[in-house]
Order: sequence, then structure tokens, then C-alpha cells
Amino acid sequence: MRCANPWKAAVAAGVLLLTAACGSGGGAGEKAPAEQKTLGKGEGRVDIIAWAGYAEDGSNDPRTDWVHPFEKRTGCKVNTKIAGTSDEMVSLMKTGQYDTVSASGDATLRLIAAKDVAPVNTGLVPNYRDVFPGLKMRPFNSRNGQMYGIPHGRGANLLMYRTDKVSPAPDSWKAVFDGAATYSGKVTAYDSPIYIADAALYLMKTRPALGIKDPYALDSKQLAAAVSLLKKQRQHIGEYWSDYQKEVTAFKGGDSVIGTTWQVIANTAAAEKAPVKAVLPKEGATGWSDTWMVSAKAKHPNCAYKWLDWIVSPKVNAQVAEYFGEAPANARACRETTDPHHCAVFHAADERYYRRVHFWTTPVPQCLDGRKGVKCTDYAEWTRAWTEIKG
Amino acid sequence: MTEAARAAADAARTTAPHAVRLTGVAKDYGPVRAVNDVELTVHQGEFFSLLGPSGSGKTTLLRLIAGFERPTAGRIALAGRDVTALPPSRRDVHTVFQDYALFPHMTVEQNVAYALTVRGVRKAERLARAREGLATVRLDGYGPRRPAQLSGGQRQRVALARALIDSPGLLLLDEPLGALDLGLRHEMQAELKRIQRATGVTFLLVTHDQEEALTLSDRLAVLDGGRIEQTGPPLEVYDRPASAFVAGFVGTTNLLRDEAAVRVVGAPGTYSIRPERIRIAPPGSVPGPGERCLPGRIAEIAHAGAHTRFTVRLEAGDDRLTVLRQHTARLPEAARTGAAVNLVWDTGDAFAVPG
Amino acid sequence: MPTTDRARGRLAALLAPPLLWLVLAYLGSLAVLLLSAFWTTDPFTSDVVRSFTTDNFREILGTPVYRTVALRTLGIAVTVTLLDAALALPVAFFMARVATGRLRRALVVAVLTPLWAGYLVKAYAWRVMLGEHGIVNAALEPFGLRGPGYGVSAVVIVLAYLWLPYMILPVYAALERLPARQLEASADLGAGTLRTLGSVVAPAVRPALLAGSVFTFSLSLGDYLTVQIVGGRTQLLGNVIASQVTLDLPLAAALSAVPVALIVCYLAAVRRAGALDSL
Repeated sequence: MRCANPWKAAVAAGVLLLTAACGSGGGAGEKAPAEQKTLGKGEGRVDIIAWAGYAEDGSNDPRTDWVHPFEKRTGCKVNTKIAGTSDEMVSLMKTGQYDTVSASGDATLRLIAAKDVAPVNTGLVPNYRDVFPGLKMRPFNSRNGQMYGIPHGRGANLLMYRTDKVSPAPDSWKAVFDGAATYSGKVTAYDSPIYIADAALYLMKTRPALGIKDPYALDSKQLAAAVSLLKKQRQHIGEYWSDYQKEVTAFKGGDSVIGTTWQVIANTAAAEKAPVKAVLPKEGATGWSDTWMVSAKAKHPNCAYKWLDWIVSPKVNAQVAEYFGEAPANARACRETTDPHHCAVFHAADERYYRRVHFWTTPVPQCLDGRKGVKCTDYAEWTRAWTEIKG
Repeated sequence: MTEAARAAADAARTTAPHAVRLTGVAKDYGPVRAVNDVELTVHQGEFFSLLGPSGSGKTTLLRLIAGFERPTAGRIALAGRDVTALPPSRRDVHTVFQDYALFPHMTVEQNVAYALTVRGVRKAERLARAREGLATVRLDGYGPRRPAQLSGGQRQRVALARALIDSPGLLLLDEPLGALDLGLRHEMQAELKRIQRATGVTFLLVTHDQEEALTLSDRLAVLDGGRIEQTGPPLEVYDRPASAFVAGFVGTTNLLRDEAAVRVVGAPGTYSIRPERIRIAPPGSVPGPGERCLPGRIAEIAHAGAHTRFTVRLEAGDDRLTVLRQHTARLPEAARTGAAVNLVWDTGDAFAVPG
Repeated sequence: MPTTDRARGRLAALLAPPLLWLVLAYLGSLAVLLLSAFWTTDPFTSDVVRSFTTDNFREILGTPVYRTVALRTLGIAVTVTLLDAALALPVAFFMARVATGRLRRALVVAVLTPLWAGYLVKAYAWRVMLGEHGIVNAALEPFGLRGPGYGVSAVVIVLAYLWLPYMILPVYAALERLPARQLEASADLGAGTLRTLGSVVAPAVRPALLAGSVFTFSLSLGDYLTVQIVGGRTQLLGNVIASQVTLDLPLAAALSAVPVALIVCYLAAVRRAGALDSL
């Protein structure tokens, strides 16, 4: 075959570079990063990876701006990079070019294990004091009694629908799974392997025989059941979304009429006059509990700490929580919201409510639901499964 | 071609309709009239040339006959058939282009056989005839090559073979030798003549090279400004040019008008005396009967290869005449610049031209 | 001779930096890519572990979904290329042989201008046009038809649009170079229009078409943004690679070897057809 020839050169070049490539250090053998002991002067700049709506500078809505006041107060210029998925956040953090990240539970542990983030000295973050106790020292933000970040807030992945196209109003995830055929071609779903948990959650309620206790702890049989449900769902999917703007336009234009969403997307779409509504279905939902973490290679650690303290300060935390549509992490934020009932609506202090919400967690081989003698499927398997589902 | 075939062809020539007949043909490009009211007849089997300077309309005329252009007025008939409205592909005419226009992606053989391929001739026959055609232009064995691998002269021959493959009624040649160097050009001229004789196809050659036209043609037409000035056999056109333009363009000449004519020729009007018809004689020589003799001085001598060109200033009236002498011809000892000489010619060699 | 030596030295000094850059940046990154395809990752941290294994390639070859996605990607790349060829031929022919003067210049500018606009802008513009209430559906509605919506057809349409200039330009150049004499010679030898198109124009344009197809084919093969924007639920090789990059870099590298291999094979085939000369 003629096309064998060009490979020879490439292979030769590869051999040449082998030594060079192997020379640079790998991650596994590195020393664990240490927490910062004191807070110094700001470096004048901070590079942030955030979910959409977490670092608003007024460009989307002039009234929504907590970046400029921060810059004014601390002298730290903010550079924000919006990420669409946890995977994107992990990969961006691996570059070492960012100081801090608003990581969800399916990214935090991976970042900690890869030593991409440093432990956080909560003593340097005065506002940490007022964070709900239910968010402190959780498995997804700490390790061996050491916090690895400052809790930001939490919320649920909701079911959004076009009120003019979908009736009766849905109250169950059934609308996007077993009942998806009704809106075939107009159903949307989150484009990430972690979305498998949404299917697992639905199966947990509708098919108890499968024995799912935790949508992030699936043995291979349970994963197969979720995969087959998602493959059936795919027949009716119009498009998958990971870019929140894309979902806004899809619902606005009527290309999608029902599917999973975040409160902030529902708010944005509604603000742009799309007839949409978002509900928490009766099965409960997957959700997130986000943590601001500091990079192990942060170039501007002092500004990063200042940002951590700023974003969980009562006033700002209230602003973010209301804008994004989630429960604030700071208990005192509940007194600062424009809607006095915000904390009640989002069950900020209601730990029982949040038992219905299954926060994103990275699936690992040791089953998170405590089962022994069974090997659970890990995130790599979920990723392969997700590729297979999309076909 | 055998003698019998030639006889048959000669017989056909007399009975068959003319190979080309143009009646009142004109062609305008916008406001410019490139060809003006042309009447032209080319006989079957003839080697005919259209001779003229650039811009004289000769190439336009060829393109009208080939069908690449449509005339603004007039009719074009080929072999007795009116083809004025027909596209090139439906005229029994092939063209040899100045730049040969060989198809670069085809082999020499495929190029030569193209007209047969188009007509759907079987491959074996096509190849056999292409080889035959290449043999005619002495390119045996060159079939599998690409045009890019050939020299200019070889490409010229391929173009010829390609145009002759299906023995068209008429072959048009557009300055075919213009791109060749002098030696090759002479060789190809002989080759063209040989091939024309061997095939019996009517050749219509467009050229600005009067020597080429005179050497090759059975008859020729001289064009100027889109009009035909004169048509006839080479010698007739050379010796008896129908106009001052023809006299000047076909060969060199001494053109004498009005008072100069009176002084030199002895009569009013426009006269032409070919330089090679004038002899240089020693001063004081006496003219024979029917000769005219005028004294002058040699103003300039130019050696141009096979012949020598003298410019002689006549004593009466300061007129200058050009005299051509073969290099081998014996010249008077005194023939050098500044020398006094007598110029002598037969009175019959000074002939009147119209206009 | 000292002068030639010095000239040679200067030439070497002039060429060394770009050549070094070419070797390191191009071949080097390709080599590292291929090399890392034989590594593996820590399943939890996603850090690359440098131990040699062929598991990645075995997984790619053994998993049906990768084959499906690879074939779909290949199919889209081929369709886009054919579509562009079909569109570019008449457009380029009109530009090169029919239009003259100002119209021709205007057409060249019209073909080139979209290349200056951002890729994402154009893709999102198509997203709006192909949407439920987009201009495509609106235009087709009176005829009782509907647009393709988001999906494979939309991806083909948008990619064909994006890469069309890369096909038109070489074909236009080839047609412009084609001497008018050759068309006349063909007609002169008895060929009709179709025959001339087939026997004279097509061979002259073929290398340019192949050269253009190198662009349309390889660009389509590597694309993953257009499909995210208008692909609906479709995924292509690029998306699968992108989803694995953070998680399993070696597997992503092994997957990348698939389009690289396809493109190398394609280039080899095209080179044999002699089209690389007109790139």
C-alpha cells in the first residue's frame, strides 16, 4: 500500500522525540501541593474558570455585575473563561494557566487526585465562617479533614419546557424518557457523560428491581440499563446541548421544547421572551454543589483568595444565587436577596430537600453507595458509554 | 500519391466545386472592420497563402473559414456547401494553430487520433491510422510520448498529423512556422510542401512572411486593411504587383512617384523597379537598346549574406535607388562607397503600378 | 570557493529557523500524538501514564461505535467534497470563461470575502437559518416543504458552504489557465460541446478538483464545531476525540490517528493522480 510510506518518516520522528517527551515530569510522582499560610498583597490579576452566570461583569445584564466592584475594591483584574462542562473545566485546569475554578462535584475529586488544585486555608477566607454547616467538609470538597475549596452554592438540574408546545405541564422525567416520543425531535439533553446519572435517577424511581441506590454508583448491569434507556431517548432527541447559549436559542426558536436545564438558562430564555418554564420533577433531580478551588500552580494566589472571599460574601453570594437560580452557600446571603423568599424557594437551609437532589459526583470503581463485593463503573466507562449512546 | 491518383485529383479539381469560396465577407469587431468585403476562391488541392502584415485581417479571415468567428456579412462556402451558419465541428476543415494547441494531458498518439475518437472510430483502427499519420510527418515511434516531451518542430509535426488524420477537405495553417527558428523554419517549409503534395489536401496558409508565401504557394492573396489587394501566382504578384502596397510588401522595391518617376523612369505616374533588376556599371558606360542608364554615386554598401545591397544617390534630383547584387556576381572594381557609377536597367523592368 | 560557501551559509541561516519550526511544530507534534496513542491513563485523575500498550488501538478497532462514527465522518467528508465539486465547477467555469472584467473581479471578491468572516459566526448564522423558525423553513413552507433541521444534512450543507471557496479557487485558476485555443482545436477536430468538456476541459480541471478536494476532505474530516452547532444529536470523530481529550488523552490520540491515516491515504492517492502539483 502506497500510504505506508509517509508513516515511516513520522515514526522515525516519533522515535527521535521519545527521549525528549519522556524527560518531562509526570503527575503521579509529584509532591502534594500545600495550603497557603498567609495572605499577601494582590497580584493585580486573577484568571477564573467559571460556569456561565458565576462571574458576571454586566455585559449580559448591566444590573448584574459583581466583577467590576471586586476589581475596584481589590485591584485584581478578572479574566473569566466560561466552561460548558466539568470535563472542560478539568482540562482547562490542567493547563495551569488559571488561578481558580468553580468546580462541581464531578470535577473536584478528579482535580484533587490529579494534584491540579491546592488545599484551601479557610482561615484566609473570613466569609467561610457563615457557610451552611451542611456544605462544609463534604466528600466532594474535602479530603482527610482538609477543605479543598470554598462552597459556592447548590442547585438542581431542572426540567424545562415550552409552555405553548407542551401540555399538560410535565411533573416527571418520564416526559424525556419513556414519554419522549410525544415530542420526538424536539427533546434536548445535556451533552456530557454525567447525564447518564439523570437516566439512572429515573430508573431508580421507576424500576426498583435494578437496585439503584445512588445514580453515581452503577454496576455494569445498572449502567447497561441506563444506557439502553438513553439510546431509546436518542431517537427523539433534537440536539444535545453543552453551550448554554445554544440551549437558549433552541428553546427560543422552538427547535427544542422539552429537556434538562439550569435555572439560569430558564431565566435567560424567559428574559428573551421565550415562553418557557422550569420545574423540579417528582423523582427529584441531579444537581450540583459547586466549590471554588485554587490551582496548585496559581500565578495569582492572593487575588484568587480575595475572589473566593468575595464570591461567598453575603451580598455577592446572594446576587449570584439569584441570578443563576441556586441556593447560596452563605447563610447570611439569605438576608440580602432581592426576593426575600429566595432561600426558601431554593431550600437553602433545607438539608432534607437536598437529599432529593443528587449532586454531581465522579463515578469511581468503589461504589459510592457503600456496596461491597461489587465493582462500580468509573467515569471512563461512562464516557465510552456516552459515545456509544450518541452513536 | 501515385501518378494515377494525382491525375484523378487533377481531374477532380477541374470538375469539383471550389475548396473555399468567400462572397462579400465582412467582419466587424465593434466599430472596427477587420475584414472588408472579401471575395476569395481557393481551388481543390491548391496550396494557397494569405499574406499580409499584422492587422491586415488575414487571421480573422482564417478564423471565419474555420468557424471560430461568424461573419458580419457575406457567405462562406466550402466544397460547394454553404457553411456560414455551421459551427467548427461541422465543417470539413481542420486547423494547425500557431501555438499548436496540442492537448497536454494526451499522448501524441491520442492527440493525433482525436478527430477519429470524436467520430467513434474503433480503437485498433484509430491507433493504426495515428501511426500512419505520425509516419507521414516522420515521427514514427513518438506515439506514447506527451507533447511536453517534444521539441517545437516535433510539436508542429504532431499538430499537422492531428489535423490531417481524417483527410479534411481543407487544412488551415495559422502562421504555423512563426515560433520556429530560421533553420527549422526552412526545413519545415519543405516538409509542408512535401506533405501537401503527398496528401493532396487543400492548404490555406496564413503568414506575414512574404518569402514563405512565395516559396510555398501555388497562389496567394495579399491583404491590407481587411481587403484583398491582389490574388495570383507568386511570380505574377511579385513581378506585377497590383498596387503600391503589394509592390512594397512582396519583396523590396524602388517605388517612384510623380516627379521622381519623371526624373528616373521618364514618365509621370507610379513605377516600381525591383532592386535585383538594376545593374551597376562603370561610369561612362553606354546603355544598350531598350535600356535606361542614369549616373549616380554609391552612398552605402550593406553586405547581407547571400547578396549585397547598394544605396545609390542619383545625380539628377537626389533620388536614392536600392540595388541588390548576388554576392557571387562580379562587381565593378570601383564599386565602393563614394564611387561614381551608372545604374542600368531594361525599360520593361520599370512597370507602372496603380495608385 | 569562499563566496559560494558564504552564500550557502547565509541560505542555511535563512532557512534553518523556519525549517526547524516546521520539523518541531508539525512533525514533532504529529510524532508526539502518535506516540501518546500508545500510552495509557490513570482512570481517576486522567493523568497520562507512560507505559507502552496497544490497548487504545485495540479498543478503537473492537468497539462498533467508533467504526460507526468513523464511517459517518468519512461519509460526510466525501459528500461535502462531491457537493463542493459539483457546485464549484459551474461557478468557476462561469467566472473563468464567461464573466469578464468587472463582473469577474466582483465574483472573485464574492468568493473570497466569506473567508474573512469568522468560522463560528458563519456556523451560527446557519444555525439560525436552519432553525424551526429560520429562513430556510420559511422559504420552503409555501411549497409544502421543510428544511432539513439540525442533523447530518445540516452538517453537510454548512461544511460544504464553509469550504466551497477552497474548491472554487483552484478550479477557477485551472479554467482560467486553459488556453482558448485548445477548446477551439477540439471543436475544430469535430468535437461538440459535451465532448470538449469531457475530453479537454475535464482533464485540465481534474488536478485542480483533486487539489481542492484535499482541502474540503481533510477540513471536513477534522471538523467538530459545526456538528456541535447544527449537528443536532450527530457526533463525528472530532467530537469523540474532544470528549476524550481531558479524560483519556492516549485514547484521544489513538482516535486522532484515524483521520490522520485517512488523510495520508487520501493524499497518497491524490499524489498518484498528480494533483499535488497544482496545490
